[in-house]
Amino acid sequence: MAIIPVNLARVSNQLRMSVANSTIAKTQQRLLEVQNELSTGKKLNLPSDNPGDAAIAQQLHKLLETRDAYSTNLKAAGNQLSEVDSTLGSLSDLLQQAQTIASSNVGSDVTDSARQGAASIVDSLYRQLLDIGNHQFDGMYLFAGDRSTDAPFAETNGGVQFVGSSNLLKNSYGENVVLPFMVDGEELFGALSSRVEGTADLSPTLTTSTRLSDLRGATGDGVRLGSMLIGNGTTSAVVDLSQADSIGDVITAINNAGVGSITASISPSGLGLQLSGGAGDDISINEVGGGTSATDLGILQSVGAGAGLPVTGSSVQARVTLLTPLANLKNGAGIDTTNGMTITNGLVTKTIDLSGAVTVQDMLNTINGSGAAVLAQINASGTGINIYNPTQGTNMTIAENGGTTANDLGVRSFGPFSPLSELNLGNGVRTVTGNDIRITDSGGVSFDVDLSGASTIQDVLNAINSAAGAASAGVTAGFVTTGNGISLTDTAGGGGTLALTATNFSNAAADLGLTQPASGRVITGTDVDPVEPNGIFSHLAALRNALRSGDQQAITDAADGLKGDYDRVVRVRGETGARVQEIESRQQRLEDQNLATKSLLSSLEDTDFAEAVARFQTLQTALQASFQTSAKILDMSLLDFLG
Amino acid sequence: MPQMSLIGALNIGKTAMAVTQAAIQTTGNNIANVGNPDYTRQVTSISPNKGQQVQPGIIVGTGINLDAVQRQIDEALEGRIRGSISDDSAASTTEQWLGRVESVFNELTDQDLSTQLSTFFNSWSNLANKPQDIGLRQVVIQNGSSLAQSVQDMYGQLGSLQDDVDKRMEGLTTNANSIAQQIADLNGEIVKAEGGTPGSANSLRDQRDTLLKQLSDLVDIKTVTEPNGLLNVYAGSEPIILGTDNRGIGFRTESVNGKLEASVTIVKTDSEMKVTSGQLGALDQVRDSIGGVIDNLNSLANNLIFELNKLHSSGQGLEGLSTATTSNLVDDVTVPLNNPDANLDFAATTGSFVVHVTNKITGLTSSTLVQVDLDGKNGNDTTLQSLQTNLDGIADISASLSGGRMTLSADSTDVEFSFSQDSSGVLAALGINSFFTGSTAKDIAVSNVIQDDPALLSAAKNGEHGDNQTATAIAGLESASIQSLHGASLKQTYESMVNTVAISSASAKTHAEAASSIRETLEAQREALSGVSLDEEAVNLMRQQRAFQGAARLISAVDEMMKTLLSM
Repeated sequence: MAIIPVNLARVSNQLRMSVANSTIAKTQQRLLEVQNELSTGKKLNLPSDNPGDAAIAQQLHKLLETRDAYSTNLKAAGNQLSEVDSTLGSLSDLLQQAQTIASSNVGSDVTDSARQGAASIVDSLYRQLLDIGNHQFDGMYLFAGDRSTDAPFAETNGGVQFVGSSNLLKNSYGENVVLPFMVDGEELFGALSSRVEGTADLSPTLTTSTRLSDLRGATGDGVRLGSMLIGNGTTSAVVDLSQADSIGDVITAINNAGVGSITASISPSGLGLQLSGGAGDDISINEVGGGTSATDLGILQSVGAGAGLPVTGSSVQARVTLLTPLANLKNGAGIDTTNGMTITNGLVTKTIDLSGAVTVQDMLNTINGSGAAVLAQINASGTGINIYNPTQGTNMTIAENGGTTANDLGVRSFGPFSPLSELNLGNGVRTVTGNDIRITDSGGVSFDVDLSGASTIQDVLNAINSAAGAASAGVTAGFVTTGNGISLTDTAGGGGTLALTATNFSNAAADLGLTQPASGRVITGTDVDPVEPNGIFSHLAALRNALRSGDQQAITDAADGLKGDYDRVVRVRGETGARVQEIESRQQRLEDQNLATKSLLSSLEDTDFAEAVARFQTLQTALQASFQTSAKILDMSLLDFLG
Repeated sequence: MPQMSLIGALNIGKTAMAVTQAAIQTTGNNIANVGNPDYTRQVTSISPNKGQQVQPGIIVGTGINLDAVQRQIDEALEGRIRGSISDDSAASTTEQWLGRVESVFNELTDQDLSTQLSTFFNSWSNLANKPQDIGLRQVVIQNGSSLAQSVQDMYGQLGSLQDDVDKRMEGLTTNANSIAQQIADLNGEIVKAEGGTPGSANSLRDQRDTLLKQLSDLVDIKTVTEPNGLLNVYAGSEPIILGTDNRGIGFRTESVNGKLEASVTIVKTDSEMKVTSGQLGALDQVRDSIGGVIDNLNSLANNLIFELNKLHSSGQGLEGLSTATTSNLVDDVTVPLNNPDANLDFAATTGSFVVHVTNKITGLTSSTLVQVDLDGKNGNDTTLQSLQTNLDGIADISASLSGGRMTLSADSTDVEFSFSQDSSGVLAALGINSFFTGSTAKDIAVSNVIQDDPALLSAAKNGEHGDNQTATAIAGLESASIQSLHGASLKQTYESMVNTVAISSASAKTHAEAASSIRETLEAQREALSGVSLDEEAVNLMRQQRAFQGAARLISAVDEMMKTLLSM
């Protein structure tokens, strides 16, 4: 209200009137405000009513709206995972049935016709499981990962091929809470073999067009761009790399800085950067303001390297990308593209001709498009490639075609790092205590080899070669050049025949595929490491086939496999159940939080009725008083008292 | 030796009656004007006539003399009142207009822009739950369209509000000019009427004071009174009225950098008038505030479009593209894309993107890295033309230029293409595979291509049709820090825009109350001096009546004395 000085010398009629007017007007204005508050129930109708409270209210509104999205996502994930949970329930039931059939059909008292009948039941289970694998929920294939637009399991080549993906879709369920809302079909069904993950680090060399985002950085933390300080002992300059996108941009930025005659280039190894200058340039490279650019680029040189000496950075660990030229792989040595490799999957054998391939993508396209129904991908860390056999029920082998392509890529299915335990479809190599094999060279020198300590093929080769060396025998063990297998080559040059026999009744020789007669001076072993997905479909197919043929051992093996599958499904189901519960509790928590937020919001926005009514009454009284005093005062005049 | 005479006494009675009548007339005039707020109370100034020496050392009074009828006025106080009128009307005008700006935002309701932003981004988050669902895609597009529409509406409303301000300013300057003209005219009349006796033309001066108050309501003025009664009026140091010369108050709009700027001018010199208060001063500032809000809204829309398009253009839809045309026009296709002559509204930077060409029959994809060089070095920066040449060199697709736009198309129906990993922002800057088209709040809209085929909405990032990584990235965009907004997010930018208006509006409200309170206080002080009090006038009247009666009695006494004398 206006502050009218009351110590005025005179009070004019005009003043009395305007005071009355303005007091009444203002009181009425305030009454209108209270009326509005009381009738809308809100004290914040416009942000300017109280900008401070309004700003908080606005943020709370936003918070509620954001939580709406979380809540929607939680509901969707809850529905989806509940569906997964119930699907997993039927999956485990069917697997249990299959196991029961397997165990009740082992033994000599089961008739052949009963087994045939059981086989057809298993066949029907197989179909049902396929249906489950391709189960759709709300238009989305549950087990297809980010390829959920298409059915993930397809019947091909007499097996079941996984054409889904194991990249699981994720969504946000809270501040910084990003979780997948799918179950990995690959893992669940044992859909892809894991044994052909490339073992070679393909370590590509840099080109000027290599993108910085495709580098793992010298420390493995990527390349975080900032600035660095380059000096030559006399002058220095800050090089801003924040706009750089490729190695070429970094080089251009350094060259344009013009510090002495320092120039940058890709280092001779091709894996990192190199800075070189004139005879007088004492090159130093330092971080600026806590940045990590120089460290990430592997060229940090806090004190001068010495006049005239170049600074050669460490490897920046370029990732293998689709666009990487094949010639840049393996530190610039490239891979053997002349000979290619042979991929056999089930009944199909394809020779992969890489002579026309220039980039990694060309190579992957050639492999994936070969018709061998295999899946080649760059691995997640970008260090090499993986070739999967996505078809259950078929065996895959990847072999050389006379060169070193498969080995270069580290994808030879029977390679130096193949674990013995996984050979022969997981039955491993059965060794005995003591020596396992005896080899006799053409000169008649024989030696025994103990394979008990070997865990990989390379260990076997080493054991043979060192035993041969110790016995001064002329025998070298290695890999065959075409196809897969161990080869034993006689170098003794005697008149006898190279021979290999088992000792101590060990099965190791047979399990390594070495029980072959010598051809000339060479024993060529067979491929005992075909790659087969150890999955539900292959186990069921094996059970069905074993029941049909009455192979007791195979029935037991298949039953063991199914037991593993069942355990895995039960474990995944347990995990899924836990996730459903987590989602429910998150939802609950979200609702609790919303309740708290809404009550806070209400305290900011909503009318405090008791207070507003009290205010209303005070104003009413004030207005009444204004009316009464105004009426009395304005009515009074000396003129009334003059005769 | 002068004579003492009855005539002298009669004369005294005559002067007394005359002066008393004048005083009664003044009182009457005061009483008559009791309801006139602009009236200044007048009082008669009287003094005894010069005495007559009847004997040495003895002086007898000769009656009364009317010196002046004076306005009871404090010129300094009037000046302060005029200042307070300017401030008061400025504050209430600001309050009123900012209230209108605030109501455009409609904030704190369920229909405000912040709710729509949330709804839009939430629909992206929901799309991530089921990226292949056409229904959810339609929801995203629908929410995008209504968001774009709301931004456009808001822009339109703010624009027409600015037009209203302009019209109001134009009208008010006309008023101000006519008031100034009347003051200049009155200056002349006052000098004429007073004829060398400054301060005597009371009613003309009252009229001039009233007009000055009316002018103060419109602009803040300073006045300087000259000894002869002329009053000069200044805005800042620039004269508006010099004596009887009105230099004129005008209104001018001119286009500066594509924006319409409005200003109040002095007609005579065609120079901008410094107006800081009064209705016109307030409107001038409100106009700037609205301009600022429009700029903020434009920047918000621009960043929303560009940042979202950057993510969207590097993503993939449920199907690849068979053809794509840039939606943003490049004026000169031979200059680097970040050159002002190219006239793109978005800034692409050095970087690269990957073009994937997929054969739909074999399902095999071949990818090509396209580099974008915009570092201004080596003279090899990317132009639209060089980009077109590069893209045209990719097998199975072709690129062509026409009228500043580039069109990419697949060479056969078996081939489709898509983009990924654009670190240069060039796709978004040119508007290929974009979600929003336009660049400001005026023209933001959802791309027709996407509206026609929701399958082209990018939810995927890794090339798999069922992927949702672009959708989740876009869902997170609302609260992501954006470099060109000085690290603030879209959400924060909008909130701070609304808060700025709310705070100005609230402070205008407080200011208006304070200003009106100051004005009332000053006016009360003025009333204490210049206002008419009926009670006081009644007492005066009684006194004057008695004085008149006394004077008349004196005359009749003298008359009787004269009769006595004559009948002797």
